[in-house]
Amino acid sequence: MTRRTGIKELLALTAALALVAAAGEAAAQKGGQTPILSGPLVKLDIKEAQIETAKGKPKGTFRIAQHFALDPGWLDPLEHIFALTMQTYDYLVHDALIKPMPQGEATYSLAEHAELAADFRRAAFRLRPGLKFHDGQPLSTADVKWTYENYKGAHAKLFRDKLEHIQIIDDRTIVFHFKEPFLEFMDLYNGAVSGIGWIVPKHYYEKVGRDGFKAKPIGAGPYKFVSQQAGVQMDFEAWEEYWRRTPAAKTIVVKGIRDNAARLAGLQTGELDLAFGMTGKVLPQVMADKNLRWVPNFTSVWHLAFPGYNEPDSPFHDKRVRQAVSLAINREFLVRQETQGVGKVWGNWISPENRDALKGDGKDLPLPEHNIAKAKQVLAQTKSPNGFEFEWFVPFVPYFDMGERILTDLRAVGIRGKLQSLEGPAFRAKMGQGRKGFPGNRTIVQNIDPRPGGAKATIGVYAVCGSPASIVCEPQIEELWTKHEASKNLDERDRLNKAIQKILVEEYYMVPIYWNPFVHAIGPRVLPEGKGIERYYDTLHAPYPWPWEVWEVRADR
Amino acid sequence: MRKYVLLRGFYSLVTLWLLVTIIFAMVRLTGDPVAMKGEIGADATYLERIKHDWGLDQPVYWQYTGFIGNLLKGDFGHSFEKSLPVRDIYFERLPNSLKLGFAAFVISLALGVPFGMLSALKVNTWWDNAGKMIALLGLSMPGFFVGLVLIIIFGVQLGWLPVLGKGSSAFVWSNPATWAPFWFRDWPHLAMPAFALGWYFSGAMLRITRSGMLDVLGSDYIKLVRLKGVPERMVVAKHALKNSLIPVLTFAGLNLLIMVNVAVVIEVIFNWPGVGQLLYDGLSNRDFPMVQGVVLMSGLMIVMLNFVIDVLYGYVDPRIRLSR
Repeated sequence: MTRRTGIKELLALTAALALVAAAGEAAAQKGGQTPILSGPLVKLDIKEAQIETAKGKPKGTFRIAQHFALDPGWLDPLEHIFALTMQTYDYLVHDALIKPMPQGEATYSLAEHAELAADFRRAAFRLRPGLKFHDGQPLSTADVKWTYENYKGAHAKLFRDKLEHIQIIDDRTIVFHFKEPFLEFMDLYNGAVSGIGWIVPKHYYEKVGRDGFKAKPIGAGPYKFVSQQAGVQMDFEAWEEYWRRTPAAKTIVVKGIRDNAARLAGLQTGELDLAFGMTGKVLPQVMADKNLRWVPNFTSVWHLAFPGYNEPDSPFHDKRVRQAVSLAINREFLVRQETQGVGKVWGNWISPENRDALKGDGKDLPLPEHNIAKAKQVLAQTKSPNGFEFEWFVPFVPYFDMGERILTDLRAVGIRGKLQSLEGPAFRAKMGQGRKGFPGNRTIVQNIDPRPGGAKATIGVYAVCGSPASIVCEPQIEELWTKHEASKNLDERDRLNKAIQKILVEEYYMVPIYWNPFVHAIGPRVLPEGKGIERYYDTLHAPYPWPWEVWEVRADR
Repeated sequence: MRKYVLLRGFYSLVTLWLLVTIIFAMVRLTGDPVAMKGEIGADATYLERIKHDWGLDQPVYWQYTGFIGNLLKGDFGHSFEKSLPVRDIYFERLPNSLKLGFAAFVISLALGVPFGMLSALKVNTWWDNAGKMIALLGLSMPGFFVGLVLIIIFGVQLGWLPVLGKGSSAFVWSNPATWAPFWFRDWPHLAMPAFALGWYFSGAMLRITRSGMLDVLGSDYIKLVRLKGVPERMVVAKHALKNSLIPVLTFAGLNLLIMVNVAVVIEVIFNWPGVGQLLYDGLSNRDFPMVQGVVLMSGLMIVMLNFVIDVLYGYVDPRIRLSR
């Protein structure tokens, strides 16, 4: 399963910004930086980079198995897709002005200073001195400007539409001027959500072109690209001149290995050091192998939705039916079967990794109950007291076993349906159409969506009438959402956001199941031994353990 | 003869045209590939841009004429999923598939032909039953099962053989210095996938060799040779074997093409970077140009092989070319 981001709606304003309008010059000077912008500024919560002194020469080969075929397009930030998987390669070859790091969700990287005008119409950055690309050419504001102007990936239209002009003050200082307040700018420009902040070398890209860059990219990241066999393997080599620290591993080899059993075998034979997506049937074997370690790597929350529920003839139109569905599900059993007990029963359908998500552990929202008798009792009060047949239960691909288990639970209270096993693209295409993707109004969808950008992002995709992927369309939510979008007050936005989350769960428009671990397995060559590996997973909101320059492995024999 | 060759050539071209046309239409029935790149809820402009970049905003007939026009120039298009020219990716993978295919081919012959002969020569004996058993196992145990068993035994338990990939040797078309090392290095990587792939075909090979050998051994001219007192070893080696191998070799040729082009499951299990895995990735991701390119190249090989066989048949047997 990949983690993906979404469209502009998904951006939580507060993400990197603790927002207090303050006197600009004072704020800027407080950080020891000469101010760039005049007038009041937003106080930004961007953490300082942790620059580490040299720790000797890089050593060893670190071999990583991605759980699907590799796409050379991932090496080009200008065409950044929504998939967070792509950021594995951003963090290897490229570098961003600000990006999520263990220090904070927004951490200075190529930039050493940033400012955002209080009217959200200007943003400024100052680059670190002496930055270079892998070919030794200097990285300057001209590259930052060129990257912005030539960016074609996710959210490109928003960036283009908002931009008035870019002002280069000098080689290290750049100011973006916007036509209108661009509240989400810092969130979007942060390396977590789009590719526009990952700086591409203008001189090289123009020389080799689009295909040439994908075939052999250069950047300013900790690892230099060496070679690739398209779809199968990419080789990277430590770039010892990386500004933050010398990378620990000398070589990183990423292999695209779709088959779970093959990834497991690769770990067991020592041909791999890190494998993603080891959840499901291979997880017991990973846990049983004394030579392997694993990290739960929690991502998002499994949940059920009811496309077409708001049509009066849908059985799911009645809140009590949706409640009965929730009561019928034995979540503890599912957690044991699907995740060997690693997952956590959860009361919100949005991942708690989002700062603005209500906690579903009983703190903000109660843990969902499993109570067959109560489910039957609730159902008995509806138009279908003895249950009913619905059309399809459509599970997220390929979690068909889990779908079957939920269907069995539902059958116990008289709610009977058939499993529809789709292939991945078909499922995504249907979900992309929202309610229209599921003809009729007697369908249950089992979904998971670990998109970053805050709870707002997820709500904006699934629970707002205007979204192409809308499944929930409720006047009550719509009213709150409209207010949310219009508000420039971040506290108010947060309040409205949480009110919407509460409605979605309490009215059973979304039925949360459990918080899913996307387990990574780690071989014995990775240092340190034992539990120390968990430090590689400190970056917030990262489905993959970046940054890569900190990973240490034993020297090659 | 010339007219016959030209006619066969024309048929081959028509077959190829039909193949590319059918595959062009079929892949488009699988759905919208943009759904693979665009996230749920992605903005329409972004999706439109991808569609435009991939040429999918054009009318289908225009896409088709563009596709055929590019094919005539040797351009298979750009992979949607891998963002690079299909031709480059295909030819990067082809040597790996040829290496695996040839190794599996040799294994299938090495197992199938001797056991098939032995089975035929010792018909209705313990040897024959053992041969039949091998053939049955070869045909009934799928390659992926054999592959997984091999991985567990020789990779994980014994640690003798690597389980992933093809090793470090690479075949670079533009660098002849890489050609020989590519074929003769990294055999430990090749051993298990080649055996798993060849094993399946060896069963069929064994059956065909056995039946061909039995036919020949029962023929009149073999009886005559035996009556003339020729030693049995000579009867088999000189007179029976050569004739019984004709259908085996025809069959083996087709098998070789299958092993090279569609060893999808074995390539996935062993993470072998061949064209079979390309096809699998292409189909999984609705990568139209990739699927079209791989199918076209596979089809081209099969059509060419058939063309050569047809021409050879016509050459050795004049009745064939006259009757057509």
